[in-house]
Order: sequence, then C-alpha cells, then structure tokens
Amino acid sequence: MRMNLKGQKKIINIETSQYPNWKICLINELKNLNSNNVEIDCNDIDLSCTDILELISIADQYNCKIISFCSRSIKTIVSSQSLGYKSQFIIKKPSDNTLKMNEKNITFSKSHFHQGTLRSGEYLDSPGDLLILGDVNPGAKVSAEGNIIIWGRLLGIAHAGSKGNSQARISALHLRPVQLRIAKKVARGPKEKPQLGIAEQARIDSDEIIISPLDAT
Amino acid sequence: MATDTRVILICSGKGGVGKTTLTANLGISLARQGLSTAVLDADFGLRNLDLLLGLENRIVYTAQEVLEEECRLDQALVKHKKESNLSLLPAGNPRMLDWLKPDDMKRIVDMLKEQFDYVLIDCPAGVEDGFKNAMAASQEAIVVTNPEVSAVRDADRVIGLLNTNAIKPVQLVLNRVRPRMMANQEMLSIADVTDILALPLLGLVLEDEQVIVSTNRGEPLTLNSVNSPAAKCYLNIAKRLQGEDIPLINPAEESSGFGAKFRRLMQTKIF
Repeated sequence: MRMNLKGQKKIINIETSQYPNWKICLINELKNLNSNNVEIDCNDIDLSCTDILELISIADQYNCKIISFCSRSIKTIVSSQSLGYKSQFIIKKPSDNTLKMNEKNITFSKSHFHQGTLRSGEYLDSPGDLLILGDVNPGAKVSAEGNIIIWGRLLGIAHAGSKGNSQARISALHLRPVQLRIAKKVARGPKEKPQLGIAEQARIDSDEIIISPLDAT
Repeated sequence: MATDTRVILICSGKGGVGKTTLTANLGISLARQGLSTAVLDADFGLRNLDLLLGLENRIVYTAQEVLEEECRLDQALVKHKKESNLSLLPAGNPRMLDWLKPDDMKRIVDMLKEQFDYVLIDCPAGVEDGFKNAMAASQEAIVVTNPEVSAVRDADRVIGLLNTNAIKPVQLVLNRVRPRMMANQEMLSIADVTDILALPLLGLVLEDEQVIVSTNRGEPLTLNSVNSPAAKCYLNIAKRLQGEDIPLINPAEESSGFGAKFRRLMQTKIF
C-alpha cells in the first residue's frame, strides 16, 4: 500500500494482496484519508465500466472526488477513459508476478501449430505440444517434447515426449502409423484398419504403448 | 508470339514410372491440336526423350551451347520430323553433368516462352540437383506415379517439394493402371493413391504393351492413330490440360465385359 503526497492530490493504491477484494481495500483507504481529491492506482486489477462506477459511488460516500486513474491493465484504462476520467497506462515492470506470467507465456509459445499435410520426407519437431491440422503421410515424421494431436490421419511416424516425458500422448482422427514412439518406447503401428470415424489416442500404460478410442479416456 | 506460355514440369521422384513417355506423348498430342509445343529434356545425364521421339540422330546442339552463345536457339531446337508443331531441346550433353544451374534453366525457358504455347520439362528421377534445376523454371507440374507403394511414396515427397517452391497447380497422372489387378485388389486402387497424394487427377493411363513397342521404334503412340488404350489416355490428358471436360475412364468397366476382353485378345495377338 502506497500513499504519496502530490500537491493536494492523494494517490490511493487499490490492491488485493492484503484484502479479500479491491472494494474493502478502497474503503479502508478512504477511511484514513484526509484529502478530498484522489487518484486511484488500480495496479493489475481489471475493472469494467460498472466496476469503476461502483468505485466512484463508494468514493462519493466518503466525500472524495476522483481526479484520475492509473493502471497496468489496459481494460481498466479503457473503462475509466470511456467514463471521461484522466487515465494513465503504466507499462508493466518485470516484477516477480509478471515474471511468472512470462514463463507461462514461454511454455505456451513452445507449442507448435501446423496447418497442412506433411508429406513423405518432411519432418516436424516441436519443443512443446504439437497440433497438426492435416495428414501425416507415410514417410513423414513428427516429434514433440509434449503431446501430439493430429486433426487428420497419422500414417507416418510420430514421437511424443521426445525428451523422455512418458506421460505424453499421441491422438489422431485416424491413427494408423508406421511406427509410434512415446518417450523411449517404440511400437509398430496396428496392422488392422481402425474403425472409421473414431479418434484414437496412444499412451503408455504399464510400460507398453496402447491405443484406445479417445473418448474412453 | 505466345504470351501466356504454360511451363509444365513432368516429374515423379521414382524412376521408370513413365515421365519421359508421358512427356513425349503429351508433346505430340498437344502439337496435333495445333499448339506449338517444346519439350525440354532436363534429364540430360541419362537423356532419352530424343530416343522416344526418334530424334536422336538429329541433335547437333543443346541448350548448353545456346547459353554459351555458340549457336542460336533455333539451331539447337530439333523439330519433329512428322509433327512440325513439336520441337525438342536437349538441356545438355551427357558428358557435362554439372554445368546446369537453376538460373541457366530459367534463361532457357524464358527463351522458349517467346516462341511456344507449351513448354514441357522432362524432369530427371530423384530429388537432387537435377530435380531442383528442372523445378526452378516451372510454373505448374504434373506428377506421374504408378499404383505401387514405392512410386506413391516418392511422388508424395516430390509434391512436398513442389509445394514448398510454390509451384501450382500440381496435377496427378496415374500411369500403368491394370484394371484387372485393381478389380482383384492386387494393386493400389485409385482411391488409395489419391487419398495419400490429395491431388486432382489429370488422368489415368492404362497399362499397354504397345508403349514398349513404340518406345523402341522411336514413334510415340499418339503419333499414329492406332487403336491403343494408352494412346487414348494420353490424348485425353492433353485435352484435359487444355480445359476440356472429359470424364475419367473407369478401370472397373475396362476390366469386365466382352468388348474389353475381345480387345485385349486382339491386342495381344497382333504383336
């Protein structure tokens, strides 16, 4: 919580780390306030127009006039600006909190999405999950450190969990690969034709790669 | 002067599936429709398009000499003896294997574009430099394959390479179709092939012993209006290439029926 003197104007920093929600934080701050003009620092909190109207009415009850808003959330800035308040967007500093979010983003962007058919001789590798919208033809190979999902036919070679993740799975609308690999396990594809129209999934179960209909898992 | 020349690459990946035979017959068929056509033999290491066309003894210069300005283009072009609309240009000499670069190919094709309606490029087998050179100058492609697993696999590889080089449209010709074997499911069916390759089918060519005879004679089947099943298929492909809507033959009908059996009997006895 931060209270700065800026001429006559007081800055109220609403945050939810010490309070169950921002409203209680705001009311507590207003109780201890000895100025009528306030700026609200909304931190990372996303506020809609209705939230901001509510915020203003709370401030009214304590005879406070809100001069301006500042926030790190674009949504809050847009809401406050649309209600005619002076608003300042604060660019996020890499605090601990945002660092965690960045890490999350990185793992998300590791996933790979490919649209189109992979033809013989082509090879696709992903450091995360791999989603393919198209067929994997015989002679083509796909591998991923995470799961592989194929919205199409798998007729080539697929290797999920290529860095050793034995929880990885391979799913396809039509699973008839030449060879399947999950982590360090290798299996030859099923010889019998799979039933049409049933998506299937391969995973490791008691040290063996098994294939089962996708909806049964 | 032709303004909208179509430069078509005829390729397959695997060797021996019928690239050169298709190039020769397609060239003749297009020429007979009155279109000025050039066939460029990009497979100059093992060149035999000239053999199929019966023009081996007329070759004096190749594209190599044209580019080195040792001769003019019209000196290197070999006009077909019976079909004057068709010209052959060998890309190079079998002894000079590494002279051709993708840029050379573009220059040759640009020269040919000024005179011809169609430029058919007979691509070498494989996916190495020879293929890359031949591909460099092409706008569209015909992929030839047989109903065999290995040919389909190689065609798939080639199609992938064509796609990454933005060559389109890519169309498919399924060569050496044996209707009886297909009916008995001893051969990959048309659906099996098109399922994997996912290309529009430009045509089927039926297996025909006369192809061998015509190759050895140096007279493409389509040159003489013989009653050969393969020749009809080649003619249909040429017409479809021109935009005519001709239905594909149905191998199931070809394999059964008295007429077909009789024709088969006739054809095998004649030669």
